[in-house]
Amino acid sequence: MKYIPTIGIECHVQLCTKTKLFSEVDNDARGKEPNSCVSPVDYALPGMLPRLNGEAIRYAIRAGFAMNAKINTVSRFDRKHYFYPDSPKGYQITQFYHPIIGEGYIELPSGTKVRIEHAHLEGDAGKLTHFDTYSLVDLNRVDTPLIEIVSMPDIHSAKDAHDYCKELWRTMCYAGVTNGDLYNGNMRFDVNTSIAPEGSDKLGTRTEVKNLNSFRSVERAIEYEISRQKKLLENGEKVIQETLGWNDATGKTTGQRSKEEAKDYRYMPEPDLPPVHLTEEFINAEIKKVPLLPNDYRKKFGEILPADTLEVLLDYPDLMKKLGELDVKSIKPVANLFASVLLAEEKSVEMLSHLPSATQLSDLVEMKEKGELSSTAVKEVFLKFFDPQMGKKDARAIAKELNVIQENDAGALEKIVDEVIADPACAQAVADFKAGSEKVIGFLVGQVMKKSQGKANPASAQQILRKKLA
Amino acid sequence: MEITREEIDHLAKLSDFSLSDEEKDGLTTDLKNIIGYISQLNELDTEGIEPTYQVFEMENIWREDEILPQEADREALLNLAPAYLGASGVQDNQIKVPKVL
Repeated sequence: MKYIPTIGIECHVQLCTKTKLFSEVDNDARGKEPNSCVSPVDYALPGMLPRLNGEAIRYAIRAGFAMNAKINTVSRFDRKHYFYPDSPKGYQITQFYHPIIGEGYIELPSGTKVRIEHAHLEGDAGKLTHFDTYSLVDLNRVDTPLIEIVSMPDIHSAKDAHDYCKELWRTMCYAGVTNGDLYNGNMRFDVNTSIAPEGSDKLGTRTEVKNLNSFRSVERAIEYEISRQKKLLENGEKVIQETLGWNDATGKTTGQRSKEEAKDYRYMPEPDLPPVHLTEEFINAEIKKVPLLPNDYRKKFGEILPADTLEVLLDYPDLMKKLGELDVKSIKPVANLFASVLLAEEKSVEMLSHLPSATQLSDLVEMKEKGELSSTAVKEVFLKFFDPQMGKKDARAIAKELNVIQENDAGALEKIVDEVIADPACAQAVADFKAGSEKVIGFLVGQVMKKSQGKANPASAQQILRKKLA
Repeated sequence: MEITREEIDHLAKLSDFSLSDEEKDGLTTDLKNIIGYISQLNELDTEGIEPTYQVFEMENIWREDEILPQEADREALLNLAPAYLGASGVQDNQIKVPKVL
């Protein structure tokens, strides 16, 4: 029997505000000592009051706009209760009843739209490291601001789930609300998967795979779940609704703690945080700050660049912004340089953190157009833009230093051509060409190139040779 | 409204309370009385009335996104960690707790 999978995804995005959601403490704990970014509020000491970070509200508005969502003018915070050592408060502050972001959608590169049910602000939990008989608690991450984005079950394949997560990541990075550092868990995905026989109007029992932190693991975990559930159903067994973990090494999902029923969280309004009331003016002012998003760039460059090149380069927001600064005729050659040369280099991502200036890039394209640089020389100069010693120099200076500027000066070239024609070693070739042997022209051009130490423009050299030997 | 022993057990578990049988008996009666008393509110018609989320009528109490020095530093806060099995509750600048999975 053919089964249709139905997938919904919850995504936690860590906001890149300077401070945490409820305390004036450094929010970026990457590479910092355990428990070094903490305050009495994070420890939930008696009498401590959360103090809402206004920037997190602003970021949420931008994120909401980026996912084509309605921003709710009234939102509130609630307490979600549970006991676990990663949360000294004994509850998480979240937005259960009145989230800040309403319905929206994300459009995948394929054109598929995945609807967003809502998205809300909440504080993260601390980090536990488990040992044989005990666990160690690091509270650096407590109340780091998160936006939890809840999709509708609009996804029907592992590939689309992958594309959705990636597009969401891109969108949030372009909107400038997160560092998007997947390695450090800046975005985490919980995936709900169920399968049902084709044509059935009822959804199957779903499982939830929690805490996936890469697009690839999202795709693999869903592929695994679909085939696991299919096997169960084909053997006449039932899928149990449960929360699973994903093991990247074994490529399998495994059972975790049993999920508490929603009512067991005993949600209640957070009495320490007054509600958020937003005016249209405030919302619109924030929306104006949102820079171009992936889909804006698709529209902007769609006519100029092939779709596959564009999709590769879209992973790099700064690069797209840089391309936008270039004059129109330079966009395609520069994009191709980045796509073919840079992304094939090791450490290319590191290189992308120091992009050349728009002038450097435009000059390079112009030199190529004037025939001053061969394709190989263009690549050489381009790579030097990322060289710590030479990177600041303009294209011409680098080309000079590399000695790769082609000889286009007709007078100088003619002189070299004359030398080649007069060279006794070339006499046979000259005679053959005059007798009608077309292919020896290559040999003669080669001689010109050699004499010019590779700096002659081969096209011009050939033109002059033909003229002189006509 | 009836409160069953199972409900008391469930609530105790969620709240991480360890209760004796007598305490559970007492709580069963107490909770039943409290809920019965509060239930009188159900007689009121609250149609169209906004729920009371807070009593101060404040809104938009935000702060600027600026890192401020904290009155209590890492050491002072870590020192608050309760002892673990009679020894220090701090290890490698982290709080040591019984393993819970």
